[in-house]
Amino acid sequence: MEPLIGLTSPAVECTSLSCCAPIWLDILAQAVTGELLAAMNYTSLSEICDDPEEVADAFEHAAGERGHAAAFAAEGRKIGVEVTNNVEAKHWKRLREAFLRCIAERDFIGCLIVQEIMLESFAVASYGRVGKVAPGSLGKTFARIAAEEEEHVDHAMAILRAERALDAQRFDDKVYRLHLDVMTTLAKMLAKECKDGHCEVCHGNCVKPSLSEVSLSTAELRGASLQQYLKTLDILGLPGEVTLKWVAQLPV
Amino acid sequence: MGGSVASVARRRPIEVDFALVGHQESWRAAADVLAVLRGPEHAPLPDDEIKDILPWIPPRAVCHVDVGSIEGVKARGVYIDSFIPPDRLEAAHVHQNIARVRGAAACAIKAGAKIVSLGGFSSILIEGNFDQLPETRDTVFTTGNSLTVGFIVQGVKKMCALGGRNILRSTLLIVGATGDVGSGCARVLAPIVSRVLLNARNIGRLRILAAELEASGAQVEVATDLQQLSVEADLVICAASLASPSLLLARIAPEAIVCDAGYPRNLSPDAEMRGAKVFFGGLGQITGGLRFAPEFCGVLNRHPFPDVVHGCLLEGMALALEDRFEPFSQGRGFITPQRVAEIEAIAARHGIYLAPLTTPMASGRRSCVSEGMVERISYKGSSR
Repeated sequence: MEPLIGLTSPAVECTSLSCCAPIWLDILAQAVTGELLAAMNYTSLSEICDDPEEVADAFEHAAGERGHAAAFAAEGRKIGVEVTNNVEAKHWKRLREAFLRCIAERDFIGCLIVQEIMLESFAVASYGRVGKVAPGSLGKTFARIAAEEEEHVDHAMAILRAERALDAQRFDDKVYRLHLDVMTTLAKMLAKECKDGHCEVCHGNCVKPSLSEVSLSTAELRGASLQQYLKTLDILGLPGEVTLKWVAQLPV
Repeated sequence: MGGSVASVARRRPIEVDFALVGHQESWRAAADVLAVLRGPEHAPLPDDEIKDILPWIPPRAVCHVDVGSIEGVKARGVYIDSFIPPDRLEAAHVHQNIARVRGAAACAIKAGAKIVSLGGFSSILIEGNFDQLPETRDTVFTTGNSLTVGFIVQGVKKMCALGGRNILRSTLLIVGATGDVGSGCARVLAPIVSRVLLNARNIGRLRILAAELEASGAQVEVATDLQQLSVEADLVICAASLASPSLLLARIAPEAIVCDAGYPRNLSPDAEMRGAKVFFGGLGQITGGLRFAPEFCGVLNRHPFPDVVHGCLLEGMALALEDRFEPFSQGRGFITPQRVAEIEAIAARHGIYLAPLTTPMASGRRSCVSEGMVERISYKGSSR
């Protein structure tokens, strides 16, 4: 699979991680794709921001996400693999389209909900889990980026809490509509089996059955992601019994 | 979709009198809770998915609970599940579980509950881990154990009466005797029965309890090995904190009355107790009305009779109906006959009585202990 967006990072010598390199390659490919998609989302967001400060913030976040993608690609080189990406892969494309619908409606809050609450919950939690099990600099990079993504979320939370305070009913309705679209796609990505066929990011066969070889599992990644999502919605003030129902109804 | 959006949209902050903190005692029960949450339009989750998903769910409110009194008073509450996985109740997971119960307690405080009943394992938080309680000024916590003891004792007395047994001549064995519920039962029943046999893991605590009961004139024996005690017991209360139903009571008196008051249940389905009459204890029934929203009736209270709930949770509801927001049961080993009588009177005033007694069946279902006769249980060995 050809990368759709080129990445430049210095080549570094290989390490002993190379024994599981095909697994790490697929994990990194998903991470790089997610980061590049986030960069594209922030660039799109800059186009609907009126406040110059928000525009600058969006560009800064986009640059940050590209930096994360480059860092993951560099980790790939360290273990001797060239990490590809595919933001046109079906699930990622659906997530991008959901974001672009918010852009088309000039819905700044909707964009923040999709990117910062839903996609970042997934990134923070899954990177955090990978960071715990990946050895050496690979693990450190995942852990560092998980922490940086969490800072994004904190920034957005203040804006979103203020928005919810204005009209909780309208805000919660919006979250639920976006949840049905975005979280359904994320849940399918994190399901034990890819029921819709190949994800178009993994090289060769699906990486999910092999995750146990690097002390990971789809159940853990999905569980941690959905837990992070629920906790984020709790902080926003959405009723816990309602969000629990939303998550319970996601596909498995 | 529209319905769920509306359910959020129309929700306004509701004043909450009480919160019930609980957890599911089996994967079957957890599956039923998730099935209700998913709704009839979604296929139930496969068992393996439930085991993968449940451990990641943070503690949170699951439904609202409305309870009515026969005096016309109503109280509104919320059920909060700590989502402790049913197979992680053993000591190895105690720290994670305390963290979960603490999270559930924080949810109760956030909901504005004036009183919180900590059901089942959750009571560990205020039986000896007060420092783990979230800070609060407006919310009090109770283990609910006083009313549990009340209903256990009422059940034992009823079973004796139904079986024509003279409780005054009985030898009572309490398994898990130094626990809050076990020691409470010992204090209430020791003055009534002929002899008390106390079993628990900690010999020091057993001796302290025995000394207390003997000082009141009771004849008491203690042992950490159940086999040393059980042979003469014709009345047994099982109130041990076990992670799963694993207790084997092989040597008890023929025709013994056995109350399984554990949550999770204590008695192993493989327990061979020839002729024993086993019943589930510690349950009460609300006669003034109980409603869950959304509908969790029969799911959160899994019992063949309507509106039956564990005594520990009923204590919080009864106190809310009584407008007595106080930490009625806290700590371990402080339950006295006077306090049990007091909470029983409060509960009865609001129409909360001993639930119909049921016995476990081999099929896993329950059958009612009918008035006028005590049915033989279908435990392995009983029909041989």
